[in-house]
Amino acid sequence: MRLREPTAADLRPELLGTAFRSPILLASGTAGFGLELLRMDHLDGVGGLVSKATTLKPREGNPPPRIAETRFGLLNAIGLANPGVDSVLSDILPRLSGLPCPLLVNVAGSTEQEYGLVVERLEESDLPLGYEINVSCPNVAEGGMLFGADPAAVERISRRVADRTRKPFSVKLTPNEGSIVESAAAAEEGGADAVTVCNTFLGMSIDWREAKPQLSNLTGGYTSPTLLPLVVARVYSVSGSVQIPVIASGGVGRAEDVLELLSAGARLVEVGTLLLRSPDDVCRLTKEMEGLLE
Amino acid sequence: MESNSGDPGPLETMATLNTVEEVARGVFRHRYVAPAIADGAEPGQFVQIEVSHLAFPVTRRPFTVSRVMEEEGAFEIVFEVVGRGTAILASSIPGRSLSVMGPLGRGYRTAEGSWALIGGGMGAAGFPFLSERVDVRLAILGARSTEQLLPCEAGELLIATEDGSRGRCGLVTDLVFEACLDRYDHLALCGPLPMMHAVVEFLTEDVLERTQVSAESRMACGWGVCEGCVIPCVDGYRKCCTDGPVFPASDIDWAGWMELCG
Ligand SMILES: Cc1cc2nc3c(=O)[nH]c(=O)nc-3n(C[C@H](O)[C@H](O)[C@H](O)COP(=O)(O)OP(=O)(O)OC[C@H]3O[C@@H](n4cnc5c(N)ncnc54)[C@H](O)[C@@H]3O)c2cc1C
Ligand SMILES: Cc1cc2nc3c(=O)[nH]c(=O)nc-3n(C[C@H](O)[C@H](O)[C@H](O)COP(=O)(O)O)c2cc1C
Ligand code: FES
Repeated sequence: MRLREPTAADLRPELLGTAFRSPILLASGTAGFGLELLRMDHLDGVGGLVSKATTLKPREGNPPPRIAETRFGLLNAIGLANPGVDSVLSDILPRLSGLPCPLLVNVAGSTEQEYGLVVERLEESDLPLGYEINVSCPNVAEGGMLFGADPAAVERISRRVADRTRKPFSVKLTPNEGSIVESAAAAEEGGADAVTVCNTFLGMSIDWREAKPQLSNLTGGYTSPTLLPLVVARVYSVSGSVQIPVIASGGVGRAEDVLELLSAGARLVEVGTLLLRSPDDVCRLTKEMEGLLE
Repeated sequence: MESNSGDPGPLETMATLNTVEEVARGVFRHRYVAPAIADGAEPGQFVQIEVSHLAFPVTRRPFTVSRVMEEEGAFEIVFEVVGRGTAILASSIPGRSLSVMGPLGRGYRTAEGSWALIGGGMGAAGFPFLSERVDVRLAILGARSTEQLLPCEAGELLIATEDGSRGRCGLVTDLVFEACLDRYDHLALCGPLPMMHAVVEFLTEDVLERTQVSAESRMACGWGVCEGCVIPCVDGYRKCCTDGPVFPASDIDWAGWMELCG
């Protein structure tokens, strides 16, 4: 058994060439590009922030409704809405100089080439610590999780990125198709510095009275604290099969959940849906973990 | 015109529920003590209430600020029970403390001149606050029945109920079609999308230019980060929570919005 007992040192992890003040990362798509949280001064106790997915061209995203809450979780089908890399470089990153924690830019593409092109452009800015390569979005017709399910594609995309940056990057994998362990190994082989386990679970919700889907995209990415065991299992198996660090993503509802993911082998832990509901609760997680470890 | 900022203000605050009133069957008025929100709110802005501190529901629920009582440091919401979140909120008893985010979004551009308000159902929830700040000459309100009608201060009040229990038996739109709306400098419109669409279809271009709409959309965050709440506008999608919820009526792509969400 490789389970670990988290210690105080795990709350100040050192990886990706950085000393993090907390293992908590704000998950992509739930913190925007950080401007709102910066303005609200709501980044205490947060180890880092992962931006909304950035693509080469601006993307409008999917038609509404994009959100549906189900009995025990949330479905979203945003469709990678973002202003595009030019605007991220010229309008957004310059306004983030006061960010009190490292930034990872989440990068998405509808072709394998696009990942390399976006990273190449982002290299113009010194601000990001590195990248999170999103090969796992369930809400787009092209690319997205199709790449993540194919280890050969994951390796090629990782290599493209590795060739274009000296900054660290993590490859964010899908739980939906293919073998996440094989995809993680492929990312490592391609030069990734970490893997993020994992993106959202594909889900669907129907208003049966009217035989109408709740989301205009029909399906969406499902998030819920009930998914924690599914993420723990994947973090455990991936961290046992690769040498690079694992960033956990999914299912965190409270401080104990973060410690559980650290115990399964994660070094950093992303928090998404909880952040949408309460930035304050997320800021408190690190202190709460300190209390739990005393 | 004064434009209310879309900046998120002081964010999460613990608000104490101090009065609960069931104003009609299934419709509740809650008064919360939360000075930060009462001081900062503008008509048309909303709050995001964490209806339960348990794990579910996983998101907050948005409600328009119906009125503020600045001396008491309190604000009110009026809401209808339509599902689980509103049912949990409705079962709260005075003294309960809840986490509230707000005031959020851009409210009405309050301007001098005469106003006409058109509201359907819970769409009128924000009108008491607006009518304290602007000169409301006419309000046209509709509800299923007299029980669900929300109060509103106005020079002239026209009412339609679907069951005929008060005012005209019919829909708000029936009254709107008869009213002489060119007389007013500003219009505020809020209600179910099909009703708002019908009203907008009827307005002349000139009146439409003077109309502001309080839009609703399903929200996950309410503070601008998730991109979940977009409304089709003539220049593309815009976020209901930070670009709105109040939009100039002529900014909205009505046909597109109706097709997707109507
Ligand atoms: C800016 C804004 C202001 C609002 N102000 C008021 C108000 O003053 N009074 C009032 O009664 N209601 C208001 N609403 C609507 C209110 O937020 C929803 O009725 C509530 O979120 C439903 O929650 P629920 O858990 O009870 O319903 P659920 O069980 O989640 O869903 C029940 C029904 O409500 C719809 N719904 C769910 N969430 C929303 C939402 N965010 N907006 C609109 N419909 C939704 C669903 O599509 C479904 O048909 C407002 C909504 C917005 C966006
Ligand atoms: C509204 C929303 C938008 C998201 N957008 C992205 C995205 O753009 N890129 C990405 O890699 N993941 C995205 N995700 C997935 C999150 O980053 C995270 O992996 C997921 O929400 C699981 O964590 P949680 O259970 O803490 O929410 C999104 C999630 C949500 C809820
Ligand atoms: S509800 Fe999240 S951006 Fe509007």
